[in-house]
Amino acid sequence: MPDGADDGKKSYSMGIDLGTTYSCVGIFKDGEVQIIANDQGNRTTPSYVAWTDKERLLGDAAKNQVASNPTNTVFDAKRLIGRTFQDPIVQADLKLWPFRVVSDGSPDDKPLIEVMYQDVAKKFHPEEISSMILTKMKLTAEAFVGQRVRNAVITVPAYFNDSQRQATKDAGEIAGLNVLRIVNEPTAAAIAYGLDTKSKEKKTKSGEKETNILVFDMGGGTFDVSILTITDTVFEVKATAGDPHLGGEDFDNRMLSYCISEFRRKHKSDPTRNQRAIRRLRTQCERAKRQLSTQTSVTIEVDSLHEGQDFNLRLSRAKFEELCMDYFKKAMEPVSQCLGDSGLPKSQISDVVLVGGSTRIPKVQELISSFFNGKQLCKEINPDEAVAYGAAVQAAIVSGTGTEEVENMLLLDVAPLSLGIEMAGGMMQKLIERNSTIPTNKSQDFTTAEDYQDYVEIKVYEGERAMVKDNNYLGKFVLTGIPKTLRGVPKIKVTFNVDSNGILEVTAEDMKTHRKGEIQITNEKGRLSQRDIERMLQDAEAHKEEDDLARGEMMARESITVYMRRTRKALEDIDSEKILKRDRERLEKKMEEVDLWLDEHSNKATKEEFEAKQRELESAMNTIMLKINRSESDFWEQQAILPENEKTIEQGGYFLDSGLDIRDLIEDPD
Amino acid sequence: MSSGDYYAVLGVGPDASEAEIKKAYRKEALKWHPDKNPDNKVAAEQKFKAVAEAYEVLSSPEKRALYDRGGKEAVSGGPSFAGARAGGMDAAFNIFEQFFG
Repeated sequence: MPDGADDGKKSYSMGIDLGTTYSCVGIFKDGEVQIIANDQGNRTTPSYVAWTDKERLLGDAAKNQVASNPTNTVFDAKRLIGRTFQDPIVQADLKLWPFRVVSDGSPDDKPLIEVMYQDVAKKFHPEEISSMILTKMKLTAEAFVGQRVRNAVITVPAYFNDSQRQATKDAGEIAGLNVLRIVNEPTAAAIAYGLDTKSKEKKTKSGEKETNILVFDMGGGTFDVSILTITDTVFEVKATAGDPHLGGEDFDNRMLSYCISEFRRKHKSDPTRNQRAIRRLRTQCERAKRQLSTQTSVTIEVDSLHEGQDFNLRLSRAKFEELCMDYFKKAMEPVSQCLGDSGLPKSQISDVVLVGGSTRIPKVQELISSFFNGKQLCKEINPDEAVAYGAAVQAAIVSGTGTEEVENMLLLDVAPLSLGIEMAGGMMQKLIERNSTIPTNKSQDFTTAEDYQDYVEIKVYEGERAMVKDNNYLGKFVLTGIPKTLRGVPKIKVTFNVDSNGILEVTAEDMKTHRKGEIQITNEKGRLSQRDIERMLQDAEAHKEEDDLARGEMMARESITVYMRRTRKALEDIDSEKILKRDRERLEKKMEEVDLWLDEHSNKATKEEFEAKQRELESAMNTIMLKINRSESDFWEQQAILPENEKTIEQGGYFLDSGLDIRDLIEDPD
Repeated sequence: MSSGDYYAVLGVGPDASEAEIKKAYRKEALKWHPDKNPDNKVAAEQKFKAVAEAYEVLSSPEKRALYDRGGKEAVSGGPSFAGARAGGMDAAFNIFEQFFG
């Protein structure tokens, strides 16, 4: 089948909300967005990847076995992506993760996640972990539409910086996706809100109505605030602010620390280094946190948590709020900053839209509401699905696969951070101010400081601080081949270009020679090189084969197990007189042998070995069937009526010599 | 970078009201956003950036006043750069002196 647009078949584009703790995928189909449930029937999928002795697990399967396999179960890749190993945030998170994170040892100091797989230590970049989650979401979408889906819009927190955006885009490429666009999460949520409101107000359309909304998006790991102006079909982001490291997991961690200290106090023993205990306790804390959004108190209980001691704690909502209050208050700062940047007074905000699981917390709602002088908050849209919903709409807009209503929509997003270069004394000179509408570009002229200087080097940063050392270093570029002349004479035009994904590209041009070709972007901190990406893409594909292989084994194992069960039942059901004692014994012996073999090999046998064993069993069964068939044709009649041209097992088909379809045998053992 | 006068870019007169400017911007943005011009992405993007730049200046009363008085030169870089004007080149010298001095 050809790639992408198959003849006559419509090609789809999906929207993926790649979350810290959960991910969600949507697709625009038949004129509306469908949020797609995964193979477990869940509309959000845990952003988890795990390695067992046998296979790699993704999503629910990975999260479900976390307590028994904590060191090889990876999550939170979004908290690592686009950061360096020495980043204080990474260093702090490290202490809470049961899996190992190391530096790659290069000058770029990239973090690597280390797991044990089949007795070999394997290291992965956070981009690779994210790519695996993206692959899972892709498979979910493909199962739904019944065809390949390559085009995707992936969302990121609005406050993600350049490295984090680029790294997310790289993750998409490693997953083999064609990343149409990186979209900001609150902007995507605003689309969901806008479409929802519009559908309700369809009849009351009164020309150009302008609505200002504030999206408060607090999820599992990141926090964003965006203010948008919606006019008919145009969604214009006015300002955005946030904290790329604040969310539900931080609250879980607070609860966890509190529980540990309570356990220590009661039992005089410390479970901190017992990974399994910590994981079990964390799961219960997360659950308690959710319950506290509707109940005023909960009991956290874990049997035999550590050294045989049970854990039991009654926690009130008030206590939970007290534990997390500084976080909740911290979340209000970006709200005021965003409002200030937008130039709008509070009274001009007509709706405050809540997105992300953490906005279910009553205290968070209370603080926002009181910030807006007791305003009623908008909880109309699904906080877990709104981002994927908007991403799916944006995917339809960008790929031109939506309805007319959708195609008329326009999203005007902004760059979240100022971008600039290092000036004298380590000062930051901004070329692009934060909240500039993207795509955008800005240029500035530079010259040489020395006579006969033939190259210049400029360092690029992002951030709001006055000194570059307080901002995030992105890289440097060098322009060579400047004609040698007196200082101050050459004119070098530096252009910053931010694309629709919010990703920066820098070019420089010597205005005299118009040389551009000699610009080198070097030391792009936190970024993978194209070579890295290609290698990982190959690894991912190799892994896919490995996974398929594991799946093949599982199916072969399942097939022989079911066959055994059916055979046993058939033996019971068949009138004993119809079978020779000798034949019965032979079959029973064979089954016993296979049982033993399965006990011993079921975890390491290949697909072929399973199949070979099944064939041995089948031929033993075959002998009996032939005889029965002759003596009691009526009993087997139905099964025996089969097209003559069907192949037997020996010929690679599904039929025994008797004409019995083995697929009948291995189907539903009622 | 972008040529022409900001009012012309948005297709409004120099006495246009704030609301008129806003409306014109939306119209032009919809027309020239690269997402809306899949067959003409590069040229459309250039045009869109020019529209956004014009709107950035004309939508701010202070920047618009500066522009009305002194043209693009007066606002280039925005008000936060005003003080850095004279020092612009010097600052650039200094950064290179750090490397080669």
